[in-house]
Amino acid sequence: MEEIVAKTEAIVREAKALGADEAIANTVVGSYRQIRFSNDRIDIGLSWRDYSTSIMIAWRKRVVLTEIKDFRDASGAVKRLMSLARISKENAAYGGVARGRFEYAKPMADGAIEHLEDPSGYIEEAICAAKREAGEGAETGGILFTKYERAFLSSSEGPEGWDERSAIELSIRAFSQRDASGHGVECSNSLKDFEPGRAGGKAGEIAKMAVNPKAGKAGRYDVVLDPLFFGSLMAVYGSMGSAFYAMTRMSIFADKLGARVAPEIVTIRDDPRTCSVNCRAFDDEGAPVKETIFIDRGILRTFFHNTSTARAFRTETTGHAGIIVPMPWNLSMDPGDLGRDEMLSELRRGLYLTNTWYTRFHNYATGDFSTIPRDGIFLVEDGEVKESWKGIRVSDNALRILSSISAISKERQRVHWWLEADPPSLSPFVLIEGVRITRPD
Amino acid sequence: MNKGADYAEVRALDRREEEIILKNGELDAYAISFDSGFSVRILAGGGLGFASSNRWTREEAKEVVEEAHRLAKASGRMGRIEFAEEEAAEAEWGVGQRKRIEDVHPEEKIAALLEVDKELTSQGIKVISRALICATELLEGYFANSEGSKIRSFVPRVSFVASGITVFESGRTEQIPFKEYGQSGGWEVLESWGLGADLAREIRALKRLIEEGRAMRPGRMDVVCGPEVVGIACHESCGHPMEADRILGREMSQAGRSFIHDSSPFWIGSRIGSELVTIVDDPTMENSYGYYLYDDEGVRARRRYLYKNGVINEFLHNRETAAKLGARSNGSARSMNYDREPIVRMANTYLLPGDMSEEEIFEDIKRGVYIRSFSEWNIDDTRFNQRYVGREAYLIERGELGTPVARPIIEATTQSFWMAVDAVSRNVEFQAATCGKGDPMQGAPVFHGGPMIRLRGIRVG
Repeated sequence: MEEIVAKTEAIVREAKALGADEAIANTVVGSYRQIRFSNDRIDIGLSWRDYSTSIMIAWRKRVVLTEIKDFRDASGAVKRLMSLARISKENAAYGGVARGRFEYAKPMADGAIEHLEDPSGYIEEAICAAKREAGEGAETGGILFTKYERAFLSSSEGPEGWDERSAIELSIRAFSQRDASGHGVECSNSLKDFEPGRAGGKAGEIAKMAVNPKAGKAGRYDVVLDPLFFGSLMAVYGSMGSAFYAMTRMSIFADKLGARVAPEIVTIRDDPRTCSVNCRAFDDEGAPVKETIFIDRGILRTFFHNTSTARAFRTETTGHAGIIVPMPWNLSMDPGDLGRDEMLSELRRGLYLTNTWYTRFHNYATGDFSTIPRDGIFLVEDGEVKESWKGIRVSDNALRILSSISAISKERQRVHWWLEADPPSLSPFVLIEGVRITRPD
Repeated sequence: MNKGADYAEVRALDRREEEIILKNGELDAYAISFDSGFSVRILAGGGLGFASSNRWTREEAKEVVEEAHRLAKASGRMGRIEFAEEEAAEAEWGVGQRKRIEDVHPEEKIAALLEVDKELTSQGIKVISRALICATELLEGYFANSEGSKIRSFVPRVSFVASGITVFESGRTEQIPFKEYGQSGGWEVLESWGLGADLAREIRALKRLIEEGRAMRPGRMDVVCGPEVVGIACHESCGHPMEADRILGREMSQAGRSFIHDSSPFWIGSRIGSELVTIVDDPTMENSYGYYLYDDEGVRARRRYLYKNGVINEFLHNRETAAKLGARSNGSARSMNYDREPIVRMANTYLLPGDMSEEEIFEDIKRGVYIRSFSEWNIDDTRFNQRYVGREAYLIERGELGTPVARPIIEATTQSFWMAVDAVSRNVEFQAATCGKGDPMQGAPVFHGGPMIRLRGIRVG
């Protein structure tokens, strides 16, 4: 620890001595483990250790960045950066970095994750739970991932802090038939409330319900989205909340600050100080993280900012640096007052969609997009699941979807999955009216 | 091997990268990075273990070996992995640079990017946003395994991404969400792309779409797809479902499975397209974005015929999947860094050309649509139900191109798409892309492409 602090601080001192206006060095020493399994068997155990330091230097509004490993040639890297800064071009929009001394929240890492001897038992637990629900013949596959990071950030502008970050997550997909599957995820920053059986049980339950799917039919439907599905959409909305993407029109929210984008029941927040695979104490400038209300009772309240984008919008950083691209850390949607079953009972003829992938936009500024439901797709009539479906697509508009949310469940799940539901979120069941469903001819 | 491993390999990689980011005409940042590390993969007792580090000390190396071995033994309790036999190779391969990336001054690189931006914004068209990113990488690799392979490699690559190019005219917005260029080679490859002119042509097409474009009434019609659309279809509905790890279920909880499997109507020998459909994946194309001569398991690369004359022909294999399916590896194992396991990947996937001119393709279409490029696309996780939404598209009437068409949509199954092909042109074009697969994600540089094709009587939405 002392070595990390000393070497990280030395980088900042050297940059200043060479004439940098601002310098930040951010060292993360991480150990990561993963077990991948498919067809109920382990395919591979993986482990990787990463010793990396990100360095940012600004000189006369020229911003240069580098990343070095294991402090190798740190001094040379700083000199190269300064040389690069001197021949680079001024960025008139550069607005500086976080300034001042801050008190940071205590790290939320769980040391037990770092010292976990053999996590394969969690996989067995998840597989057993899936088979209990879907039957012994069900096939399962997925990953178990753990991380433990020690981070130290030093900035010439004052911020200096130590953080420790941990995560454990399990993703399991169960197949009761080739085209009948369910997906469950479990993710946390601590072992305390990590229940792999919960993910396996959910995957198995959906896989069992999904047997003998029929070809789905195109049309407009009221749709209940499972937390895993809505977590993917919330990740899209959250990413579009980045000021960088608003500025480059890769966002439906570009001109909507202060405008109504959703009904009053919709409030979306971001806070990495809560239980999450992405919990942290400060951002990449050393600004303390905090709760940010992104959409407040349907009104777009703010973008996610670093200091520089905040200046462009004449506001304060929200603690979401990314030096270049600010991003949300850990989203959550405020709960509603219905249970899942109550929400399904609202459907006279609608769909319950449990997961999705491959969300792609025709035009990020207007929001026209499609996404492909996967795993259990259920036709619900008069509140009862009538059929399992397959082969459909949600082809709609992201703003219209957001503005058509008519109910939110009181129960929420922490979800994070691959690059679909990322950044992580605390996601509810959500009822959306009139969703356009298409299918291949 | 002294610990009782059945197989061991080490991969080391030095990576030098640069990235220049221009946001709405301002140089947001210039980033350089230096990465260097190694990994060890061990097969022991039917289990596979992988460990890596970027700390180059003897003590760390020993720990990494021990960790990989421990993970292999632990995995063996619930697994049974074998590798197909392969010959050991001693080789050195690389990609030449006519204009070495490391010799191009940063000011010249910045100037090149600014020049593209200038051309983009001097068309008399209102471009309200854009992000332009230029990246270079120099990769020096070393691979050795317990069977005697020793392979050195050097790959320079250049790429360029334009995103969020948004045209606002007549109160309406049209956008190029992403456009990617990339090749292996020196700085000369970027200079050969004609970036400014190409993007300027694209935004002129968007402006015309805004001013003249109209929606088509949905229905069945003849569709001509340009190489960009053909390329993405080759990648999504041929390359991905032919990955043997996906077929065997190894990606089941992330990238998904395949419509091709041993209890489906689709297996090697099944018809999936018309006689005109031959799709290959070829890593050995010089200066391609997905170029390599030996894969990341040390197996010599070669062209693979995936769909041959419309019939499923050969899966993409690494040594693990080849052993499971009684085949030989065809050199499809790729890893995107020293700290990522090699998995089955595409390289350069494209439809082989036919014998028609482009004029002949159009001439007997009474009424149809030509889809030159696409923005939105996706495909289900078995790679059967796909959708491509045209960005630049035109009406075809009596063999002639007419007015721009707004958002023509093909939503088809893999079989219905490829079976509808009744004409293939002579000229092949390639596009660069970054293929996503693996957990953690490994974005792989690839080409996809093909000639122009005609689809008869396909539904357009």
